[in-house]
Amino acid sequence: MTYRQFVISQSIIFMAGSMIFPFYVLLLRNVGDSYSQFGWAYGLFALTSALAYPLIGKWADRSGDRTLLLVYSLAMAILLLLFPLVTSVWQVYVLQVMMGVLGAVQKNTEKAALARRAEKKQAGTEMGRYHFWTSIAAAAAIIATGYLVDFLTIATIFYAASLLYAVSGLIIWKNRIEK
Amino acid sequence: MKAVLFFCLYLVLFSSSFYLYKSNYSDPTVEDAGRLLPAQVKAIKQADGEEVLRDIVQQNRHVTIAGMQHSQGGHTYYPGAVMIDMKPFNNIVDFQPEKKVITVQAGATWDDIQQHINPYGLAVKVMQSQNIFTVGGSLSVNVHGRDIRHESLIDTVQSFRLLKPDGSIVRVSRTENKDLFPYVIGGYGLFGVILDVTISLTDDELYQKYTKELDYKEYSRYFQSEVKENPAVKMHLARISVAPSSFLRDMYVTDYVSAADQEKLEEYRMLKGEGVVALPKLFLGLSRYSNWGKDAFWAIQKEYMLEEDGAYESRNNVMRSETDFMAYESGSRTEVLQEYFVPVDEFTAFIDDLREVLQKEDDFNLLNITIRYVGKSDQAVLSYAKEDMFALVLLLNQGRSEEDVEKSRDVIREMIDVALKHRGSYYLPYYSFPSQEQFQEAYPHADTFFRKKQQVDPDERFINYFYEEYGK
Repeated sequence: MTYRQFVISQSIIFMAGSMIFPFYVLLLRNVGDSYSQFGWAYGLFALTSALAYPLIGKWADRSGDRTLLLVYSLAMAILLLLFPLVTSVWQVYVLQVMMGVLGAVQKNTEKAALARRAEKKQAGTEMGRYHFWTSIAAAAAIIATGYLVDFLTIATIFYAASLLYAVSGLIIWKNRIEK
Repeated sequence: MKAVLFFCLYLVLFSSSFYLYKSNYSDPTVEDAGRLLPAQVKAIKQADGEEVLRDIVQQNRHVTIAGMQHSQGGHTYYPGAVMIDMKPFNNIVDFQPEKKVITVQAGATWDDIQQHINPYGLAVKVMQSQNIFTVGGSLSVNVHGRDIRHESLIDTVQSFRLLKPDGSIVRVSRTENKDLFPYVIGGYGLFGVILDVTISLTDDELYQKYTKELDYKEYSRYFQSEVKENPAVKMHLARISVAPSSFLRDMYVTDYVSAADQEKLEEYRMLKGEGVVALPKLFLGLSRYSNWGKDAFWAIQKEYMLEEDGAYESRNNVMRSETDFMAYESGSRTEVLQEYFVPVDEFTAFIDDLREVLQKEDDFNLLNITIRYVGKSDQAVLSYAKEDMFALVLLLNQGRSEEDVEKSRDVIREMIDVALKHRGSYYLPYYSFPSQEQFQEAYPHADTFFRKKQQVDPDERFINYFYEEYGK
């Protein structure tokens, strides 16, 4: 996989991620709604991420970044299909735990891949450029999704984000095979 | 190859998820301000014009009508029915300042009307103390407010147009299709969609508000001699303490008296917005959780009102009191209202009996009681003011679980029994705590009401939880 393809696939992932997160709260509002529940949902996410990091780090060194990014994209694509079907708070909690693990996979692998690639001297410039493109994608997605929710339902967002993850997975997979 | 397999699997999962969602979960869930009755409705349709409304009514088996949804017993929605959101249907249709009448579409709020008529020095005659409600919703529950010189909303309505269950549109007034008039107003949306309404207005006026403390035993006499018989008093409200140290004994009353110097009105005319709510919100919050908080809230409320003694306020501004501080967000708990009507001369005895009931109930979290006056108004078939009444609005904090609802129900039924014992009644826009027997006793014309419903809407096109609970 070239660096360019890596950035494209990561940008798509960021787009999908930022589509969900700000509007995810709306789903929580429909299901159960107290601030303590928001707190728990995001807290569980952060906690499982924390616990998963050390293991994922080792796994990344053994299996390679690409495999992990692939696993992440495909797992997210499938996981998001469950979101529109959520009806109670415990289901949100379970999903948050799984998302926590997957989030850790993504973050750790993304950073490892960048670190392995970056020339030490220009690391700053390179990181800047990388974050520029991925953040632009994220910003565009958040704004566009705002309109999407106005016209469609929250469920639509989850399906659209799922498709984006699948596409990103496809890009990674295709390039892994070519290589 | 693996990739192809995976994506086939993904497509299957995607379609099944979508199919499941469409067939089971895509119906919107709605609830009203009581938050005790979430339900899946067939669809929420916006009231985008008369033609659209007619189509919705004609093309759907069951229809419900929603405004701001501050009724609390599922009056605005029903499982499997199409819910019409009337809020977009909010134009001012006609306004004749010289005749003091205005015609508005039913989705307009009192605020919309106030904004429109205030520059002409006019004001609404009867509405709630807050201005956030739609006119259509207010008609359907036949509201009353702080004004003591006009009875309830029905008394200020000249005419309205009604979209009937068969899709026809008729004008209803005291002379035209007059049989419908007393049913549709206070009709809880069961006779059709009110399209627009013509109400009579009055002059905006400058008031001075005077607040004094009273013992509850003096209140009936005070009201009769100092308020009702003093024509300068135009509006009135009172509070009775729910704080443990003065429970149902201490009161303060506020009278809005026509100011001697009306030229000053110009200075006070500008419509006020919501003020800073942090302080009342904090004290209301504390009172939810502790007796100490209730004492503090009572003391500070009273202090604030007494300090404002003699302050000037325009009629329009008195009728747009603050609501933001009452907003309450909790997953497991909610805040519900009750309203009881008791004849003016029964007030002391009623309060004594009410105190006896509530003193046994340690868990019953009563946050506030506001008292207003409503003169005898028996035009509506489901009329609550069979004679000159005090109206007590109770704000209760309670859990949302089935068990909590049952607990509230037991206490509320006891309170309603007390009201009925003193020739009183209770207000219908709230949760279906009252029993069928209590409903029949408080509303002796209930059978006539539902017979008319059957006659006007034999297919039960307009439906809601209220109808299901008490009308069948």
